[in-house]
Amino acid sequence: MSNAPVSIALRRVSAAFRSPEGATVAAVRDVDLAVRPGELLTLLGPSGCGKTTTLRMIAGFQEPSSGEILIGEHDVTRLPANRRDIGFVFQSYALFPHLSVFDNVAYGLRVRRKSAHETRTAVAAVLALVGLGDLERRSPSELSGGQQQRVALARAIVIRPRVLLFDEPLSNLDAKLRVEMRTEIQRLQRRLGITTVYVTHDQEEAMAISDRIAVMNDGRIAQLGSAEELYRRPASSFVAGFLGRANLLPATVRASSGGTVTLDVCGAAIKVASAISHSLGERLSVMIRPERILIGPPGGPLDGEIVSRVYLGEKAEYVVQVGGALLQVIRADPPEGETLAPGARVGITLPRDGVQLLP
Amino acid sequence: MQGDPLRAGVVVALWLLLGLFVLYPLACLLIRAFSDDGGFTLGPIVGALGNPTHLRALRNSLVLASLVGILGTAAGFLFAYAAERTDMSRNARRLIDFIILLPLISPPFTTSIGFVFSFGPRGLITHDLLGMQNAQVYGWASTTCAEALTYFPLAFLALRPLIAAIGGDLEEAGFSLGGSRWQVFRTITLPLTMPGLGNAFLLIFAASLADFATPLILAGNNLPVLPTDAYLQITGMFDLKGGAVLSLLLLVPAGLVFFAQRYLVERRSYVTITGKSGGRARGAGATAWLRWVLWAACAAVTLFILYLYALLAYASAVVAFGANATLTLDNYRVIFTEGVPAIKDTLIIALIGMPLGGLYGVIVGYLIARSRGFGRHMIEIVSMINYALPGTIVGIAYLIAFNDQPFALTGTATIIIACYIFRYSPTGIRTTVALLQQVDRSIEEASFSLGASSLRTFRSVTLPLILPAFFAGLGTVFIRAMTAISATIFLVSINWTLITVRILENMTEVALGPAAAFSVFVIVVVLGVTSLLNVALRRMTTLRVSSLGTAS
Repeated sequence: MSNAPVSIALRRVSAAFRSPEGATVAAVRDVDLAVRPGELLTLLGPSGCGKTTTLRMIAGFQEPSSGEILIGEHDVTRLPANRRDIGFVFQSYALFPHLSVFDNVAYGLRVRRKSAHETRTAVAAVLALVGLGDLERRSPSELSGGQQQRVALARAIVIRPRVLLFDEPLSNLDAKLRVEMRTEIQRLQRRLGITTVYVTHDQEEAMAISDRIAVMNDGRIAQLGSAEELYRRPASSFVAGFLGRANLLPATVRASSGGTVTLDVCGAAIKVASAISHSLGERLSVMIRPERILIGPPGGPLDGEIVSRVYLGEKAEYVVQVGGALLQVIRADPPEGETLAPGARVGITLPRDGVQLLP
Repeated sequence: MQGDPLRAGVVVALWLLLGLFVLYPLACLLIRAFSDDGGFTLGPIVGALGNPTHLRALRNSLVLASLVGILGTAAGFLFAYAAERTDMSRNARRLIDFIILLPLISPPFTTSIGFVFSFGPRGLITHDLLGMQNAQVYGWASTTCAEALTYFPLAFLALRPLIAAIGGDLEEAGFSLGGSRWQVFRTITLPLTMPGLGNAFLLIFAASLADFATPLILAGNNLPVLPTDAYLQITGMFDLKGGAVLSLLLLVPAGLVFFAQRYLVERRSYVTITGKSGGRARGAGATAWLRWVLWAACAAVTLFILYLYALLAYASAVVAFGANATLTLDNYRVIFTEGVPAIKDTLIIALIGMPLGGLYGVIVGYLIARSRGFGRHMIEIVSMINYALPGTIVGIAYLIAFNDQPFALTGTATIIIACYIFRYSPTGIRTTVALLQQVDRSIEEASFSLGASSLRTFRSVTLPLILPAFFAGLGTVFIRAMTAISATIFLVSINWTLITVRILENMTEVALGPAAAFSVFVIVVVLGVTSLLNVALRRMTTLRVSSLGTAS
């Protein structure tokens, strides 16, 4: 890499569509985002959250209705896609069906008027990098889905773009290949050090691959942070529910003093750190991850009744009724001979340090 | 890209051409038919409707088109069902493809000439085989049969993909629920094919309604139909206005059929949407005895068509058909001496019209598929007008519009070429649109993202992908330029004439040998050129592109 990695900045970017009925629909609303040089940042969210629209605006396929986009120091808001120096990997791969693997990968180099020799060397090198060295004469239709994905990747990185953009690149692959390819993409991105924005709706993929994740909802960024930050400290019930599984429970303030509140959660007293002070009796909402809840024999401070149990090998998942609430509980490596049929009484222990206060 | 100056220029040029060669002639025709010295009048139309002869021609046209529609659709369904649902050998299937192709690439009189040779006063069957004297070939039966044989390939081509799509999964689902073959055919296959059958019927109905050549040769005096009536009005009585009015009587049924067909095609989408049918179950639909019945029926029709064409080839190679069976090349000598001007003119016109028509089709198709809004629909509709109108109307409209200043083009090759381009390019247009609908926009975006401009993207990505459509357009315009007559018979002149017009003249002069020789010549040239186009297309594209699907 001759160029140092660049940053990407979105400043109050919005995108509006005209619906067929003539109404204006906002797909992206006032998004501020700073992608650090060389990092892989994922836009994660359910379909319709605006993540693909955001990506397409960074690419230049779509103009924002307001706001500005910077790549490095340059304002590219009005620059067409072909002058932004990007590499884009499409969900459908979008390989040119009439060109061979070699010609597909060489396309961007030829547009840049590289010499035939230079083109040949670069294409051979990048195909070797993605492990397709011997397939350059094939037509895209003769390749498997995973191979097509690698060609699309090679075509995007061979031009050494300043920015790499991925639009749900793995969603057409089967589960096993998906895991393999995401490792591959991460390896290549680290190696090339190209600033990358990656769009997916798959939280596991996002957590596995990203330096940072921006969770999007309804056209806005709900939270931005590393996978661990988002998982352990979700800023909202939406983020808590979208990343992993979560029990969202009502809680009542019992005591509040010096940055700590004592809460009543399902009848158990739990101490939680809180920056703001709360009044007694205030009703709040907390999140507890299912794997942090312990199941034991009945007779403890908190008893419940098994509603369902699903055995999944390395873990078992339970739904337990405690008071008026239904708790999801996950137990790793359940003991052999455990028979917790629906209706069985169990003791529940809530974690002291795994209760997260939600705003 | 929207707002591109290049694109804006193309759109303006296109509208100028559509205005001149589609809207202006039609307007001239309407004005001529609905005006006299005193301005607007309905007099001529009312007069024509009150005239028993013309009224009879209108009725005959409609009845004939209905009969041909039913017969042709039945034959097309028979062939399509047999081809898709029985385990025919590959050679049999190839033979069917060839039989379907023949009428599509032949001059429009070929079947009619075969009927005359077969069932005429000196006909092989009527005279030689049955020993009948003065057999009458002219009339309802022969006209209906000849037109049905000429147009049933339209039904076949429309129905075949439909029957293929309904097969496999859908019918197997029916069987799995306990339906018998007959129940499944009645409750699944037939209802799902119904819109397709309607569409096929309308296609043939429109073709028959507009057919000029077959009735001219086979209808005789007792079966006047509108296109021939209008033609005789103009050429026999030099009554341009009368011809215009008569041709307009065709407009109403033709227009109704066109819109009914569009409606059906749009509704039909729920079947064609399953483009990749999971399991194609060839041979699953028919029991053994049904298979044999289907095959026998197909074989009978196939043999009869082959027989007609063999008769044509034979007639072109003997001194006098039915009288002197000595083999000779005289007929070919005639067409390659006296016939040379017609051959030369036709080839020049076809070879100039072909690339222009191909290009026009691709450009219009691109504009329709890749733009939005009102303008797109207007282009789509106006570019279809000359195709949808019966040739007689288009021919008379051109004759009226381009006879005088400011656009005096009568007698030139330009007017004939323009007629072919604007009448026969919709095949290229539709194929382009169909192909582009399968080309995901992300393929073009991929090119932009790699740094290519919109012009470069069109040239190196879009254009190669719609190459099959360009070739489909080339082929259609060439075939039509070699074989069509209904519109251009009004446009030929001393300077520029056409082979098809010479065939017609030969038929009326009872010079059957040269007529047959001309027909054979046209068929050979068309087969040769279309094969060349196919080879060229295959060379220029990878297999992937052709497997994208070349809509006919």
